[in-house]
Amino acid sequence: MVKKKSFIRSFIFWTLIAILVVFITYPFAWMISVSFRYDTDAFEPGIIPERPTLDTYAILLGFKKSVREELSNEQQQLLDLVKSLPEEQQKAVLEQIESQRKKESFPFLRFFRNSLILAGLSALVSLILSIFGAYAFSRIDFKGRGIIQRGVLIVYLFGGTILAVPLYQIFVKIGLTSTGFSSAIALFIIYIVQTIPVSLYMLGNYFRTIPKSIEEAAIIDGSSRMGVITKIIIPLSLPAIITVYIYAFMIAWNEFLFASIFVRPFPEFYTLPLGLNEIFNSEHAIWAKMMAASVVTAVPVVVMFMMMEKYLTGGLTAGGVKE
Amino acid sequence: MSVISLREKEARFGWKLVLPTVILISLLILYPVIYNIYLSFFEVSISDAPNKFVGLKNYSEILKDISFWKSFGITILFTFTTVLGSILLGLGVALLMNREFPGRNIVRALLLLPYVTPLIAIVFAWRYIFLPIDGPLMQFLANFGMNPGNDFVNNPNNAFWVVSVFNIWRNFPFVYLMILSRLQSIPTDYYEAAEIDGASDWQKFLHITLPELYFVIASVALLRGIWNFYKFDEVYLMSKFANTLPVYIYEKAFSGIPEQGVAAAIATILFVIMISLIGLYVKKVLKW
Repeated sequence: MVKKKSFIRSFIFWTLIAILVVFITYPFAWMISVSFRYDTDAFEPGIIPERPTLDTYAILLGFKKSVREELSNEQQQLLDLVKSLPEEQQKAVLEQIESQRKKESFPFLRFFRNSLILAGLSALVSLILSIFGAYAFSRIDFKGRGIIQRGVLIVYLFGGTILAVPLYQIFVKIGLTSTGFSSAIALFIIYIVQTIPVSLYMLGNYFRTIPKSIEEAAIIDGSSRMGVITKIIIPLSLPAIITVYIYAFMIAWNEFLFASIFVRPFPEFYTLPLGLNEIFNSEHAIWAKMMAASVVTAVPVVVMFMMMEKYLTGGLTAGGVKE
Repeated sequence: MSVISLREKEARFGWKLVLPTVILISLLILYPVIYNIYLSFFEVSISDAPNKFVGLKNYSEILKDISFWKSFGITILFTFTTVLGSILLGLGVALLMNREFPGRNIVRALLLLPYVTPLIAIVFAWRYIFLPIDGPLMQFLANFGMNPGNDFVNNPNNAFWVVSVFNIWRNFPFVYLMILSRLQSIPTDYYEAAEIDGASDWQKFLHITLPELYFVIASVALLRGIWNFYKFDEVYLMSKFANTLPVYIYEKAFSGIPEQGVAAAIATILFVIMISLIGLYVKKVLKW
């Protein structure tokens, strides 16, 4: 009797686990499957590709030139768009766009590079500022500490939606939206600020778990506070620091709203989310390329995350929730 | 005397360490929030012309706008659906994962995927499976009598559901992680005692597990509620036709003929509602 019940139970349990796994992996499975197909095969039924190919990846990563069939179509579209301009201007614009388009129809590597630089640097600056800030929060007693700490937490509540218009106006006023490069700088500054609250919170939690006695010993031996931070705190919390860096990196790597506001007029500076979305909305029948691009966009982040997962202790998880 | 000055020196050092952060956050978060309220009383110019003060006109215009009220309703429904959905699913999965079984580590790793995969990467996969006629999910659902020609993503009537399901799928791992870490800290003797008293599984869940989880669930609901209320990218990238307020603000401010003053007014309304709801929630549900 008991055995029968437990058999039914474990049957239900495993069924639920199976449903869960399918539910999670279904879109991923298709993403990977389609990424190994030709664009023309994107809708072949069945999850195993019939004519598997690495072509799309090769084109994406620049190992192979793509045959650009859609080009004439696109020229037509562009032609329609610039018809309203005076003729001479029209020609110039067209020529410029055309030459650029021919060189790279799917500038994935450029998006990737832009995102890598932007996310990498802003996460780094945010991390450095947070190490100092979090140290002050967790170790040093000073007036106003409580207010600032709470203030930083409240920042969690202000989503980008509310900040979009005023931030845009501010950056227009100080003239940072006029060129692609300055707009990218604006993004860089915004990403630093967007990632600081999480970084501060996570690191602060971690620093509190480091015994004070180690630092006190160093100070008695004549080390300065700064020396304590660089020689004791940083080496001791390296796993946490790396985790926080990856988290901040992910936030910037994912960011779409501000990128679309600030760098949309400057294709040279498109980040991955913006660039892929623009291509997706302007062209058709490029499913295999989109999926391969998705895989390449996801893999670095997912791999980094899986590597640091073991460091995701309770406190870090609780802090690492800013979106 | 020297003790005080040492303390002061420490305090000054502390301030120096946090100062850059404080300046950045004040300039780029606190100031914009206030500036946003200010802008909401102006007709904001997108050229060099100065902004024109219009008083409450932006607000009265919005409140008269039917599409605003529609978006507002959708936003509330979206927030409610996704919070409830992700909590129920997260709770269920946490209960499943709270026991040892072969392959648990693999499932654990898989569970993180929806949450950690970059949005832009996963959005395309979702749009692919939902494509009418050819999309594999639509093909699959056709077996159960659903019309595969339905375009869920680009139909304003259905887009809401796709976006909600997507949001739940993407965010339930976060809820699951939070609940699981609390579950694992419930002392086992509670359950042992209950068993001696002859409690059934359901009773144990109802009288031990659920009360222990109350605070995590309530806090997670608050966080997810705030984030989903503001959620822009997941909604917009999945479908532009699921008109939630953040999408509405975005379109008003950055597409067509920009009406940034109006957008600022909507953002202000959103902000005020959010702050009051949070206040109420913290008091009533979290009882702080």
